[in-house]
Amino acid sequence: MSALVEMKQISKVYPNGVVANKNVDFAVEKGEIHALVGENGAGKSTLMKVLYGLEQPTHGEIWLKGARVEIPNPHKAIDLGIGMVHQNFMLVPSFTIAENIVLGSEPRKGRFVDRAQAIAATESLSKTYGLQVDPLARIESTPVGMRQRVEILKTLYRGADLLILDEPTAVLTPQETDELFVAVRKLVDQGKTVIFITHKLVEVKEISDRVTVMRHGEVTGRVATADVTEADIARMMVGRAVFLQIDKPPVQRGRVVAEVRNLGYVAETGRPMLRDVSFDVYAGEILGVAGVEGNGQTELVEVMTGLRPATTGEIRINGAPVQGQSARRIRLSGVAHIPEDRLTNGVALDASIAENLAVDRYNRPPFTRHGVLSPGKIKAQAMTLMQQFDIRAAGPDAPMRSLSGGNMQKVIVAREFSAEPALLIAAQPTRGVDIGATEFVHNQLVGKRNEGRAVLLVSADLAEVMSLSDRIAVMYKGEIVGILENGPHLTEEELGLYMLGLKRQEGTRKV
Amino acid sequence: MTRQNALIEAIRIVAVVVIALTIGFVITAIVSKEPVQAYTALLTGPLPRISFENGFEIKNINRFGNWMEESTTLILLGLAVSLVFKARQFSLGAEGQMLLGALATTVVALHISAPFPLHLILALLAAMVVGFLWGLIPGMLKAYLSVDEIVSTLMLNVIALQIFDLLLFNWLRDPTAGFIVTPLFPQSVLLPQMIPGTRVSLMSVLMLVAVVVVWFVMARTPFGFELKMLGANRKFAEYGGINTKRVIALSMAVSGILAGLAGAHLSLGLLKRLTINLSPGLGFEGIVVALLARNDPRLVLAAGLFYGYLRTGAQIMERSSDVTREVVLIIQAIIILLITAEQLFPRFQQWWRARRSSEVAIERG
Ligand SMILES: Nc1ncnc2c1ncn2[C@@H]1O[C@H](COP(=O)(O)OP(=O)(O)OP(=O)(O)O)[C@@H](O)[C@H]1O
Ligand SMILES: [Mg+2]
Repeated sequence: MSALVEMKQISKVYPNGVVANKNVDFAVEKGEIHALVGENGAGKSTLMKVLYGLEQPTHGEIWLKGARVEIPNPHKAIDLGIGMVHQNFMLVPSFTIAENIVLGSEPRKGRFVDRAQAIAATESLSKTYGLQVDPLARIESTPVGMRQRVEILKTLYRGADLLILDEPTAVLTPQETDELFVAVRKLVDQGKTVIFITHKLVEVKEISDRVTVMRHGEVTGRVATADVTEADIARMMVGRAVFLQIDKPPVQRGRVVAEVRNLGYVAETGRPMLRDVSFDVYAGEILGVAGVEGNGQTELVEVMTGLRPATTGEIRINGAPVQGQSARRIRLSGVAHIPEDRLTNGVALDASIAENLAVDRYNRPPFTRHGVLSPGKIKAQAMTLMQQFDIRAAGPDAPMRSLSGGNMQKVIVAREFSAEPALLIAAQPTRGVDIGATEFVHNQLVGKRNEGRAVLLVSADLAEVMSLSDRIAVMYKGEIVGILENGPHLTEEELGLYMLGLKRQEGTRKV
Repeated sequence: MTRQNALIEAIRIVAVVVIALTIGFVITAIVSKEPVQAYTALLTGPLPRISFENGFEIKNINRFGNWMEESTTLILLGLAVSLVFKARQFSLGAEGQMLLGALATTVVALHISAPFPLHLILALLAAMVVGFLWGLIPGMLKAYLSVDEIVSTLMLNVIALQIFDLLLFNWLRDPTAGFIVTPLFPQSVLLPQMIPGTRVSLMSVLMLVAVVVVWFVMARTPFGFELKMLGANRKFAEYGGINTKRVIALSMAVSGILAGLAGAHLSLGLLKRLTINLSPGLGFEGIVVALLARNDPRLVLAAGLFYGYLRTGAQIMERSSDVTREVVLIIQAIIILLITAEQLFPRFQQWWRARRSSEVAIERG
């Protein structure tokens, strides 16, 4: 076997002085699935951006099929058969899926784009690789999982032989992940090569042939996947043993913090997204919300945090009704919120880290006194939180844009945890976060619970919900079909039956 | 880090100006018989000259005055525009707000009588209130009905102009004058002169105050923070609990206050009466100033002085040489193009920073 791609002694220093890659040697063989793992900010995305021509290395060489190549821009990379699906999607929201896929190399009929052919091409690609999409749907109205498939199809349409997938599973449901893996295997069967970045070591074991581990910008190991255990990989990544098991003292359930009654929400399209949802969250417990993504979890969270108005029903926080109130009032009544899609509303990429950390509290002391805002106080808070939550960045003034995906998530977690909420609503809190940080977030969530706060945890990661929650509410088609006590007796299979709508608890039947 | 940014910014601005002026000179050389003399008029015209021929004397003080007057208006407009642009609201309404501001001062000047400082204060307040309200309209339309502010402000500019003409023709004009002007304003409402021999007035001082106030509002108040977050990501601002509708509406309204003051400067400081065709297009020059200054109020001061200098020099060049004003319009256009060519300068910045930081990195090991 010969290397398809070899990156030799790659170093990358960003303009702000961050050394993201240090003398990295990286090689991928033809026809393999190569996992690239490492903590947040280890330099994985950077290395791949160098390969894709998005960033220029400060030092080093790239060899493709035994010949040295220069990749000054993605255009050249595409010509060389390299395609990349980014961690943060880069699609045009107002275009249809077919239009997005052919964008940049549209089939033409005379002077116009041949729409019929674009749709046909999309459909045939979609069939060949088992990546299901609806060619006519607009990106803005499609779920994340489908956007992901669109990104992959887009690179295939442009003739990529080497596919770089940057944390493709971070945004996927377990089912979608399985589908993706089927597709990836199909790609490899047809002679393609795949580089696969992920934080989930289960996935590394499941799909990859070899794995390269990075840490602080350097490669710390390259091994055949079969030769190592998950714990070995974790140790190479973090430099210490990682405990993936969480210690949780028995639940000390306090008074009720959040009461949700008969909540209904009808989307602008007229589709009912929430139907008669009722539950309580108590102080000192973690209530998990499980369900296949798209069954109303997003709407539930947004209604509860004041980002969407409920159509019917009632929400009380500490006894006071909050439905229909502004996001600020709801925050003031003690609700904090880690949003599921951090790039949409969790951060402002063009603002500084310090500003991002203050968006919910800038108008209160100590940040504002007598109507005067103190940037110094905002910065000081940022320095404290950055240290406390181990956020790796150039400094509190660095723009959010310059952070790695996992560090962005840490900024959000830092802000919401430090708000000292009575109810913490955490939606996909560890999406795209490395194992070290996942461990940290999990411990923090349990810590909040132990402090006697109420936690509502929404996650597509069933393992996460099951390992953290005290009770689990399952959503199906906008309804809660069961609220189950968590414990050793509760199995994934059992939950799965509820998630797929095959089982339903007595007393929840309404429609 | 920030100091380095400031340095890069300064280098960027100087580079833009030098390139633009060089191109301008080439153009002058093509159209003029005496290019050097003409260009000297452009570049040094607005400066006063000190002469010792008859003892100590400052000459051309009126040209210097022109520069200051021009800059005062431009800076007020630049502040108005940078406020809305900071919030990423592309309001182009400064023109109309300025016109109505001038109109409001005229109504107060001619139809209310009061002793000196009171009369002036009333007139300034009228301009500010009218500017505020005329900015509030597109602000509310955008915030609550999602009406695109570019369209609505341009429409409102047209309406403002019609109101201006209507009142001037039918109510405010001096019937005894041979052309369409109002009577001269009474002394009690005029902005006091600050430099003898010029029309530089108290408004230049108020302008400096405005720079400080706008800087303060943007950098040191919760409202300024809200503006910035709205500009950075509206959904994020909403998620954080900011009432973005209120901020959108207020940003345009507050911007109107400054444009209204610019209008008051024209009427109470420069013309001392109202004329038809007050100064078409001036409101849009505020956009140039704001762009030059990257919406930073402190830089608006510098950019306004620079741009005012250029415009004054242009008038002097036009008067004292065979070069027409169009040449300077071309130079202005080149400057705008160079500055808005965002692609060019970030590249340069990147190169500069990468060089510096790789040096640092290598030093560190
Ligand atoms: N455009 C940029 N400008 C400056 N610094 C950057 C930029 N992009 C990334 N960095 C920094 O470089 C380092 C490596 O980032 P990179 O995105 O490669 O990490 P990663 O391994 O992909 O992490 P994650 O798992 O969180 O996505 C981080 O410290 C990050 O803050
Ligand atoms: Mg990354």
